Amino acid sequence: MRHRRTAVIGCLGTAAATLLPWLLSIPLAGQTRPGPSPFPAAYRAPRLADGHPDLNGIWQAFVTANWDLQDHEAQPGAHPEVMGAYGSGPAGQSIVEGGEIPYKPEALAKKKQNVERRMQVDVSNDKRWHDVGDPELKCYMPGVPRATYMPFPFQIVQGSGPAILIAYEFTSATRIVRMSGQQEAPNDSWMGWSRGRWEGDTLVVDVTGQREETWFDRAGDYHSGALHVVERYTPVSPFHLMYEATIEDPNVFTHPWKISFPLYRRMEKNLQLLEYKCAPFTEELLYDRFRKQAAR
Amino acid sequence: MSRHSLSLSLVVLALVAGVGAQAPKKFTPPRTPWGDPDLQGVWNDATSTPLQRPGAVGAKDVLSDEEAVEFQANLAHDLTRDRRDGGNEVDVNRAYNEHWMDARRLKITSDRRTSLIVDPADGRIPPLVPVSPERQRARAARADANARFNAGLPESFRDMSLPVRCIIRTDSPPYLPTIYNNNFQIVQSPGYVTIAPEMIHSARIVPLDGRPHLNKNLRQWLGDSRGRWDGPTLVVETTNFRTDEGVIFQGANPDTFKITERFTRVAADAINYEFTVEDPATWTKPWTALIPWNKVDPAEQMYEYACHEDNFDIVHFLTGARTREKNGETVPKRTAPAGGER
Amino acid sequence: MRNKLPFAFMAAAAILVTWAAAVSAHHAFAAEFDATKPVHFQGTVTKMLWVNPHAWLYIDVKKPDGTVEEWMIEAGTPNTLFRRGFTKNSLAPGTEVIVDGYQAKDGALRANGRDLTLPNGQTLFLGSSGTGAPDEGGKKN
Repeated sequence: MRHRRTAVIGCLGTAAATLLPWLLSIPLAGQTRPGPSPFPAAYRAPRLADGHPDLNGIWQAFVTANWDLQDHEAQPGAHPEVMGAYGSGPAGQSIVEGGEIPYKPEALAKKKQNVERRMQVDVSNDKRWHDVGDPELKCYMPGVPRATYMPFPFQIVQGSGPAILIAYEFTSATRIVRMSGQQEAPNDSWMGWSRGRWEGDTLVVDVTGQREETWFDRAGDYHSGALHVVERYTPVSPFHLMYEATIEDPNVFTHPWKISFPLYRRMEKNLQLLEYKCAPFTEELLYDRFRKQAAR
Repeated sequence: MSRHSLSLSLVVLALVAGVGAQAPKKFTPPRTPWGDPDLQGVWNDATSTPLQRPGAVGAKDVLSDEEAVEFQANLAHDLTRDRRDGGNEVDVNRAYNEHWMDARRLKITSDRRTSLIVDPADGRIPPLVPVSPERQRARAARADANARFNAGLPESFRDMSLPVRCIIRTDSPPYLPTIYNNNFQIVQSPGYVTIAPEMIHSARIVPLDGRPHLNKNLRQWLGDSRGRWDGPTLVVETTNFRTDEGVIFQGANPDTFKITERFTRVAADAINYEFTVEDPATWTKPWTALIPWNKVDPAEQMYEYACHEDNFDIVHFLTGARTREKNGETVPKRTAPAGGER
Repeated sequence: MRNKLPFAFMAAAAILVTWAAAVSAHHAFAAEFDATKPVHFQGTVTKMLWVNPHAWLYIDVKKPDGTVEEWMIEAGTPNTLFRRGFTKNSLAPGTEVIVDGYQAKDGALRANGRDLTLPNGQTLFLGSSGTGAPDEGGKKN
């Protein structure tokens, strides 16, 4: 059975390889005109011993989607009277296919509310601990796909074992992509439960079981506990992966929607992920309202 | 094999086993497809063997079968959360019943050593070097903060330890066993060994290509690790630790502290994890401990340990302290001398 | 009849020192919960929060005068229980539980769940005779 499946996948892989340049010539959302693919037409990534493409490396996105997945102008950001240009955000074009996230009309109110309160925190009541504030502000793990387009590198650690590890510099978040076994997540988690498989040269990762409290960006884009994400990582040159994620959540969106952008291989000599443990940067904000006040 | 030589072999084996030596049995570790020794899997290091050999044991470095059985039975009784004796003052510290705990922590190591420390031969941490006045002051400040916290009167989050604040827990090298979540996942790729501890999540991606450490001015909570193979053994050296109080193992001096860890696959289901620490400003000589790692059942998994995200207790400690201050509670005077952390 | 080996006692004490370091790095239970305020009550589960570093059980407790108090019961790391087969569905809202523990020192309606049992006497989260774990063969609550 496994051999037949491999043969079928092999055929699909060949088909995909043939179609890939055509597919890549389809304009990415936000660009105005189609053109030839910028990537080598017949690129075939080096292989690991098990025959799968080698995705090892340190990768980073250069879209501004962490500010806003959709089209956005430059903005002053929060508290410009304190932050000046340090806190301001750049302009960016939407990485959403079709341009807009297909919210259900009644779900838009919460997005608006999220943005208005993105810099508020209130941890005075356990039951409302996560009610306000961008989780990124509080240094909570960002979930998938946000972790992919945060302005920090991440590292794919791929051997030939049953697990691929993805390590994110942001708050040392990690996730295990389980390449075999069909176990379910026992519980929701901040980085979700990831199961991977190969479709030709594409690593397809199915992510379920994410905590409902994560956001997609600083523009309040959000989801419910029913979120289902399918990611695709495809090597398209020695220095690029093409990343796509399909996002599905019938509680919040009218239909599934897709984002895509290239991931760039970081090329600096001896580069490594450094630590970005940001929890200590948030403790004053979160907890100092409960500290002992100086005697008057 | 003739019966005579077989029984001779068995006698030899029995002698070797009886000595309780740490010498790994002859085992050829599997290799990754690119030729590195394969350490991969999910591993558990829970044990009840103490770090230091207890004084009453004298020079005994290994327990007999009988002693081991008795020790484990007594320990299981002492440590179980299910007992309710001793009055409320004792019971309140036995949080939650037994089944929230890692059951493997009640077992001593299979080689029945009386301490995790294997060098020095007495199984104890070497004598300490007197610390500088500056370090004494820092330790005293931390001890005062601990006293406020233990009295239920922390002034701010700054009075809480790094583990309580969810900054580092058992993920900081050297890895010591604890009451639960004693799990590590090792994933290897060409040129790297990655060790992912469960508590708290992170990935220690160890390059094997001989590149230098980060420059001295770049410090990290978990240090900066470099690895190389010594035969079947992964040797990891870690430097560049931050200088915050509570980061360095046992309060050693960040500028002179050195830690070397060795990971050796000694059986299909076992890794020997060995660490050597040295700091002439803290200990009179280096010392080494050996902790076996056991492979977990493949059906068992490492799960996400998010910590900061739902750390409600920080607020409980602080709001509770403010209430108690209003009720006139104060911190008891600290009498114990300040010591090292961990 | 042998005496207990002195080693056994000393080793246990040494263990407790080692573990005390690990546990106190984790929590000072006596600092948060009051040994003079033990609690023992029956309540109805409204929510089970399987989070780290502590799971939390929300229960409604009906007082003798008919009013209902909402209590928050602190428990251990859920990861240990996931490895025993528990999932987020293992303690459903509506389940009746008995809590044995100690109340928070500041008087908040919070306690550490020292022991959690069902009204029929089964201890919750006990591998062999508990409830909810899929591999027990018994009925889920």
